Amino acid sequence: MGQQIVNGLFLGSIYALFALGYTLVFGVLDILNLAHQAVFMLCAYAALLVVVHLHLPIYLAFPASVLAGGLLGILIDRIAFRPLRGRSDSNISGLISSIALATILEAVGLQLFGPDVERFPLGTVPDRSLRIGDAIVSELQVVIIGIALAMLAVLTFLLQRTRLGRQIRAVAESPLAARILGVNVDRVIAASFFISSALGSASGVLFGLAFNNVAPDMGRAVELKGLAVIILGGMGSMPGAAIAGFALGLLEVFTVAKLGSSYRDAIAFGVLFLVLVLRPRGLLGQAALREA
Amino acid sequence: MRFTPGRLAALAALLLAAPITQAQTVVKIGAAFSLTGNAAAYGAQQKAGVLLAVDEINKSGKLPGITLEAVVEDDGTNPQQGIQVFDRFINRDKVSAILGPTLSTLAEAADPRAQEQKTPVVAVSNTKPNAITTIGDYIWRVSLTEAQVIPSAIEIARGKLGFKTAGLLYGNDDAFTKAGYDVMKATLEKQGVQILGTQTFSTKDRDFNAQLTALKNLKPDILFVSALVEQAGSIAVQARQLGYTGPIMGGNGFNSTKFIQLGGPAAEGVLVGTAWNRVSPDPVNLAFIKAMQARGTDPDQFCAQAYTGVLVIAEAIKLAGNKGGRDDIKAGFAKVKDLPTPLGKFSFLPSRDGNHAAAVQVVKGGKFEIMQ
Amino acid sequence: MNLQALTDLWLTYQSTVAFVGLNGLLALSVYASLSCGQLSLAQAGFMALGAYTSAILTVHAQLPFAVVVLAAVLVPALVAVPLGLPVLRLRGVFLAIATIGFGEVVRIFFVNLDYTNGALGIVAIPRRTQLWMIYGALAVVLFVLWRIRGSRAGYALEAIREDEPAARTMGIHASAYKLAMLVLGAGIAGLAGALDAHLNFMVAPSSYSFSRVVDMLVYAIVGGTSVFYGPVVGAAFLTLLPEVLREVGSRVGLQPGPLRLFVNGLVLLLVILFLPNGLVSLPRRLRGWLESRRSAAHAA
Repeated sequence: MGQQIVNGLFLGSIYALFALGYTLVFGVLDILNLAHQAVFMLCAYAALLVVVHLHLPIYLAFPASVLAGGLLGILIDRIAFRPLRGRSDSNISGLISSIALATILEAVGLQLFGPDVERFPLGTVPDRSLRIGDAIVSELQVVIIGIALAMLAVLTFLLQRTRLGRQIRAVAESPLAARILGVNVDRVIAASFFISSALGSASGVLFGLAFNNVAPDMGRAVELKGLAVIILGGMGSMPGAAIAGFALGLLEVFTVAKLGSSYRDAIAFGVLFLVLVLRPRGLLGQAALREA
Repeated sequence: MRFTPGRLAALAALLLAAPITQAQTVVKIGAAFSLTGNAAAYGAQQKAGVLLAVDEINKSGKLPGITLEAVVEDDGTNPQQGIQVFDRFINRDKVSAILGPTLSTLAEAADPRAQEQKTPVVAVSNTKPNAITTIGDYIWRVSLTEAQVIPSAIEIARGKLGFKTAGLLYGNDDAFTKAGYDVMKATLEKQGVQILGTQTFSTKDRDFNAQLTALKNLKPDILFVSALVEQAGSIAVQARQLGYTGPIMGGNGFNSTKFIQLGGPAAEGVLVGTAWNRVSPDPVNLAFIKAMQARGTDPDQFCAQAYTGVLVIAEAIKLAGNKGGRDDIKAGFAKVKDLPTPLGKFSFLPSRDGNHAAAVQVVKGGKFEIMQ
Repeated sequence: MNLQALTDLWLTYQSTVAFVGLNGLLALSVYASLSCGQLSLAQAGFMALGAYTSAILTVHAQLPFAVVVLAAVLVPALVAVPLGLPVLRLRGVFLAIATIGFGEVVRIFFVNLDYTNGALGIVAIPRRTQLWMIYGALAVVLFVLWRIRGSRAGYALEAIREDEPAARTMGIHASAYKLAMLVLGAGIAGLAGALDAHLNFMVAPSSYSFSRVVDMLVYAIVGGTSVFYGPVVGAAFLTLLPEVLREVGSRVGLQPGPLRLFVNGLVLLLVILFLPNGLVSLPRRLRGWLESRRSAAHAA
């Protein structure tokens, strides 16, 4: 039982990190950035390359990838979202534009790295584990859960206590009002993308390390689960995404244990559906999700 | 230039020698393998095996007047793509025979096309039992089915390890891994081994912790896994990480050196039934291994089977009176008997499936070794 | 070119021609909802329902093809009703997500259904689909959409697409129209699914994944959703382009898989950024551009 809880928290922290980035951009821009999963994938590869070719240890490769991810996020905003800013249907066209960019990035990944699964070299992460009750927790798992919680804390601090955070929240509330108040909306949006993609990148590297599996299609599976997480948590809500991420991780693991693994994926979508039909704003989201 | 008798004689010899080299007919063999996608690890080895075999046969002069040409294309581990590749082979390249595709799932989609267009297909890695060759009389198979390999493999393993209970884990969205599971289950039940629990996963899954934990908690004597190589590696790693120390036995998907590469230390001690006894002292086998290694590839079972596929086609051409047409090859297949190949002496069964002895391998020191 | 060469060329590429037709149908099924402003991404699920229904009826009940196809159209259409009622209330992105969820649920349902061999699907379906059937179906669907366009319903759909609240105040039953188009789209997807199943010998859940419906969406958007035939143009363009590029790509050392993805993505990106009304608006744009050049030249 304990082991499954550990498995669930561990899986959940990756979902939570991924969903945080997703929901941040949605909160600010009202757009679903489906290129997020491509950042997830490319930055996992980035970390792999740094470790394998530059022979740097993982605790340097990780921040390097996260930084690269953030920069990639700014690029994504520039190419796919900014040109569409003025348009009336910008959230749908933004969605489609992000799909286009995701496809391009995935193709680049596929061409550069080939379709085969890559592994981090043995010894990238220490092999130790501890026993807690009847559960075996590897050092890697502890670190991942820790990093997820730490990033969540930093993000919360950033949004609540810093000037940038206030500006982000202002733009999320109303871009027009923010602009009138002197906020450089474009710059703030770029910053949001930086943060969002940095989070996505972090979850990608951690995922790659956790399951020792880096492949060009790794983003696809997480992307759809990520959708379920942000809906459950409430679009635009950071704490919601975090809680929902952990919740989904636990839910999935226990579904596998009790019902069998065939239903694992169905749980995420079942939850998605129920939430959208019964309480569209999710656990902690804002209201106003229906058509006027 | 002065025409001395010596020079004249040389010139005459040269001129007379010319007609001896006859016009060569080119017989094309289409090879549809997974060079990208989930089964890419197998496809790469298969391609290498085919190219070596074609080169060797052409050089050996076994088929006078005929040059074999391999046309290799990627089926992308995608049924639609596989169908299109087959179409091109049959209609545009006009191949005399097709090798592949790599996975049974694709074979079930694409082989009917070849059957319809009367083009022989040699399956070199499809191992789904009671299928593939049942599509029609133009479909032949070199690879042993799971039903031919797994039962004897389990029996040998049981003799050595004496397990009484088992846990099963298999991929439920691939024809081959599911077929492998079906055979494992049937064999275990027949041999009186109690199956304590069964878990499934999909080919896209990366995280097997939940399933493995559930199985581990049941405390089985041995864990059976039917998976493709990428996941096989992850499963072995995660199982060991979770503290499962018992034996693990895999199906045909584990039969790749990629598994050892992916599994690292977790791959040690894993058992796999195999259609290719790599330590067989048979000279054909030794020559094959040496030639592949000279080309920079450490061959695995998939390589050996693909290589054999070409040998069988060449033999069929020869038995048909050195004719390389589609129906000639089909007629020739029926006559192939005890052909020396790296897999052993090869013949077709009346069901057009392959027939030779199987073995069990265990990973030791980062290499596959035959369990005697 | 002699007859033999032509026949050979035809045989090689007939599957491509068939896929163009099928993809055209699929693109139109997405378009049905887009035409009233709804981004519904459930079509992979509807296609799966149609394909499986037809496969089961052919293989297990041996019914004639016409009956089978009819069932394949009706089943998804019926399922679309209980799906649409709760889900069409959601706005934009949420509708998209809910429908993506539906598609995945259908896929997972079939993966776990033992009656249809789970993930392996049903194989050895006899080939009943002929090329004329695919293009016949396409023609019929296009005709239906064309008639809708010109009718009062067409104007209502346009109004809903432009501004739904305003359309409602004008007395248009937006919910009814949206549901109707969802049902229509479902039927078209089911039809395509049945034709596809009887062309490619098999149905399997992996063919009806999220990336499938993304492909359909891309065809529709690239072609252009302001006219009813736009999606078909997009489907044709994006199905043929990889074939053409395959030759080029292999010469430059690019793998066909990534190349196709890259081209799809790039074309979509360029269209969405620079040609938002799709390829069908290209002639008009070019004409406009040429006109402005000419008048600039005159003015100079």
